[in-house]
Amino acid sequence: MIPTLLGITIMVFAISRIAPGDPVSLAMGPGGQMDAERAADVREVRMRLYGLDKPVPVQYAIWLGRVVRLEFGDSIKHHRPVIELIKERVPITLTLNLIAFVIIYAISLPLGVLAAVKHQQFFDRASSIILFMLWSLPVMLVGQMLIGYLCGPAFKNWFPPAGLSCNYADQLPFFPWLADRLWHLFLPVLCLAYTGFAYLTKQVRAGMLDNLRADYVRTARAKGLSNFTVIFRHAFRNSIIPIITIMATLLPAMFAGSVIIEMIFSIPGMGLLAFEAITTRDYNVVMAVATIAGVLNLAGLLLADIAYAIADPRISFESAV
Amino acid sequence: MSENGILLSIGGLSVFFFTEEGVAKAVQDVSFSIEMGKTFALVGESGCGKSVTALSIMRLVPAPPGKIVSGEIVFKGRNLLTLGESQMRQVRGNKIAMIFQEPMTSLNPVYTVGNQIAEAIRLHQRKSTGQAWSDAVEMLGKVGIADPAQRVSEYPHQLSGGMRQRVMIAMAVSCEPQLLIADEPTTALDVTIQAQILDLLDELQEQNRMSILLITHDLGVVAERADDVAVMYASRIVEVGDSQSLFAEPLHPYTQGLLKSLPRLGFSGKRLQTIPGSVPEPLHFPSGCKFHPRCPTGCSDKKCQTMEPALREVRAGRCVACWHTKGYEEK
Amino acid sequence: MSRESQKESSWGVSYGQLVWREFTKSRLNVFWLIVIIFLFIVAVLAPFLANDKPFMIRIDGKLYFPLFRDLGPSDYSIFLAAVVVLAQLLLTWRNRKCIEPSIRGQVLWRQICISSSIIFIGVILIFVFVPRRLDATDYESMVASGKASDAVFAPIPYGYARTNLKVREQTPNVEHWLGTDDVGSDVLCRLIHGSRISLSVGFVAVGISSVIGVVIGAILGYFGGKVDFVGMRIVEIMMAIPVFFLIITIVAFFPRSLLNIMIIIGITSWTGDARFIRAEFFKLRKQDFVQAAVSLGLPLRSILFRHMLPNGIAPVLVNATFGIAGAIFIEAALSFLGFGVAPPTPSWGQMLSLGVSTTGRFLWWLTLFPGLAIFLTVLAYNLVGEGLRDAIDPRLRKAA
Repeated sequence: MIPTLLGITIMVFAISRIAPGDPVSLAMGPGGQMDAERAADVREVRMRLYGLDKPVPVQYAIWLGRVVRLEFGDSIKHHRPVIELIKERVPITLTLNLIAFVIIYAISLPLGVLAAVKHQQFFDRASSIILFMLWSLPVMLVGQMLIGYLCGPAFKNWFPPAGLSCNYADQLPFFPWLADRLWHLFLPVLCLAYTGFAYLTKQVRAGMLDNLRADYVRTARAKGLSNFTVIFRHAFRNSIIPIITIMATLLPAMFAGSVIIEMIFSIPGMGLLAFEAITTRDYNVVMAVATIAGVLNLAGLLLADIAYAIADPRISFESAV
Repeated sequence: MSENGILLSIGGLSVFFFTEEGVAKAVQDVSFSIEMGKTFALVGESGCGKSVTALSIMRLVPAPPGKIVSGEIVFKGRNLLTLGESQMRQVRGNKIAMIFQEPMTSLNPVYTVGNQIAEAIRLHQRKSTGQAWSDAVEMLGKVGIADPAQRVSEYPHQLSGGMRQRVMIAMAVSCEPQLLIADEPTTALDVTIQAQILDLLDELQEQNRMSILLITHDLGVVAERADDVAVMYASRIVEVGDSQSLFAEPLHPYTQGLLKSLPRLGFSGKRLQTIPGSVPEPLHFPSGCKFHPRCPTGCSDKKCQTMEPALREVRAGRCVACWHTKGYEEK
Repeated sequence: MSRESQKESSWGVSYGQLVWREFTKSRLNVFWLIVIIFLFIVAVLAPFLANDKPFMIRIDGKLYFPLFRDLGPSDYSIFLAAVVVLAQLLLTWRNRKCIEPSIRGQVLWRQICISSSIIFIGVILIFVFVPRRLDATDYESMVASGKASDAVFAPIPYGYARTNLKVREQTPNVEHWLGTDDVGSDVLCRLIHGSRISLSVGFVAVGISSVIGVVIGAILGYFGGKVDFVGMRIVEIMMAIPVFFLIITIVAFFPRSLLNIMIIIGITSWTGDARFIRAEFFKLRKQDFVQAAVSLGLPLRSILFRHMLPNGIAPVLVNATFGIAGAIFIEAALSFLGFGVAPPTPSWGQMLSLGVSTTGRFLWWLTLFPGLAIFLTVLAYNLVGEGLRDAIDPRLRKAA
């Protein structure tokens, strides 16, 4: 775990330093108005300010020291401490992703089981095709079409096109505020969820199909257990195991979706922060977001490993983690 | 036949599998009877239909491709094939139990063995969880597992193959069924364990007055343990009889070939005898008697090539399906 | 005829033939494969389908062929690649008829190496030697004004770089079948040329990631021990950072070019293949034929790639098909966010981003058509990948 964490930090740092261009040059611009000497002076001062004049390994060590204390420096663009920005934005992205997660699992599990039980029948075939199509639909298309059609005046503003809450939301009491939030979140969560849902349902179906044909299912039937018990207590319980590991791979995928969806729906979350930071070469923010994303991802992987060890008695704790 | 009474009687059972490549007639017109308290062996090579026959008794044949197209299976006066699903479930595990060939994969890996045994007990005997659990411990002891109180909370992957098979037997016998179907119970085990498992089955049979339908391809096991034998070839029964007389005087050319190909102690020097050719596939059965391409007499006989012999009783307690058996033609 | 078929039937059926037969059993699979081939043809023939230069034109009595003169190095590279791939496919088919199965694999491998080298070296040479011409002559107005005659234009007579602010943001009409974008370029034309970008990114990126993944996976799986431990840490690190985020970070810091995008997607997506191959090699390492090869003293390269790899290659191929779909999607997403190829190079993702105009008007045709193009392409590759996986799986199950 620790070496991986260190490795993440090294990689993040390396990328930001390898790339051509640095924040000082960007901030200063072509500098046509200053004469060359003055420009050089200003540049030197600025570089020292950001610590960019020291050798790279030293820069890394300094940065790492700060990271451990959660001091990510200040955002060059926003002129505020990065940690503040992150504290503001992470909950939003997490909320979005968690809701989408819950929806995905709540729908995929029963749907996948149903498709497997009704294997080769109409429901299975039809849902298979629809799921494939959902999986292949690019989220940019869906997002923009939804905004274009459901949010404009032509459709009587069924949904709001942007933002997390209406402007006057702070003044509302709790439940209307919650309702307003949910109204705003509905479309983004839908866009975030549908790809993962399509993928997961297919996995659940595949796992259930494999397990329904297993020998122990035959034994369970031979004991006289009802169909329902056989499907849920025996086959499903075994199918869950690979689904848990999938959870670990869903996390990075949803992060990707977050960036695009937050941009389309103008939701001030971590994805949008990352996007803006990258376009403006806001190094501190970029590195902070990358590190945090990596750490969160690792935490998710760790959780998935633990859950896997709990679910499958064949796996011992030590070998999983 | 005897005073014991018939427990299970199968008449004219046919099971077909409807696949993309055609209809596979896995079981055709199979009839035999199992008496109470006796061991009945169903012998044949892989793919001859014996497992499907066994599954049909439990009505566990995978339904979309497979279908029981005709016949009746009478268990204590009731035709199992006419029962509704919920009634059938009361029979399964309760009156008729089955153990399978692969103990590795036949137990659910995520539940403890105690849990799986108790599940059957709770279902059929309506006992509480605590009671079912202690019953499970008792069963484990009965099947010869040492330290049952500890083993009962272990998972299948923590047990050896022989122990797993014992667990399967415990699970099957926990509700004291009257018929135990054992589908190649020892094929996947070492020879020494094999003997132990078969001894265990004998013991349980005596204790509970249980009938056993033993499905196997191992003639040695049949000779030792079975009271009655039916030989299956390519979806049909070709010979039935009590095991002593069948081994002493096999009537069907297939049975004769099987017995001749057994290596014998003290018999050295010559090549082992084999039956030429190989078992036909269910999708491409030969015409007439299914054994005729491999039969020393039948391969050149017009009748064997075109007309399929039915199973007939040629003398007391012996049935055979062969045109050339003495006593067959008169009927 | 009878002698050849006798020879064939005595050889039995090869693994590839089995998979192909299983694959083509389902008509849907064949349909989507045809869709993919159709997309290829559109991509290869793009300059002939949509171009503002005519095939031929008569000016002052002389015959000119502006379209052909205008073809640039990227066009020639694509033609070369298409021709070589076609030749390779024909050769593979001929192999089946004439070459014995036991050496067929080696022969195929040698042919593929030669074809890849031809394409690789050819592309480099083309880019070095073929000049990029800029022909800004407005042939249409020449025809309209009568200065030229007998002009034969391409079916869609617009260039993808041609801008015409007078017709910007037009809905689909008779002149522009799918409408125009914010600078007046024809949408259909840009869609057709955009397919080149998407497909080339897909293939090159997946090619790079597969090679890296297979090599790393093979080394890790074969050696095990410390090598594996260190290697797996690196793989974990790469997997821990969300790939998409990594890509946009790297892409944003480097100059925007098609080659950069291909390389970056390639070097960030190899972890899946590496894990597959590593698991396969772990299994294969213990098998007898590998021990035999080692004891014969065969060089490592040969053991890994000639003996072990063909056994584990199947899931890599399946993964590659899904990878192409994924790479196309990533390229579209990158272009959508503004990190991809720069205009005037056409890209479906970039066209999508124009869906909402600066005035806030919703330009549905700029969202729908590129979106559908991405959707159909990704769907086709996903379905073919799934069909391929199903075709390979029952083989393995039956064999086991």
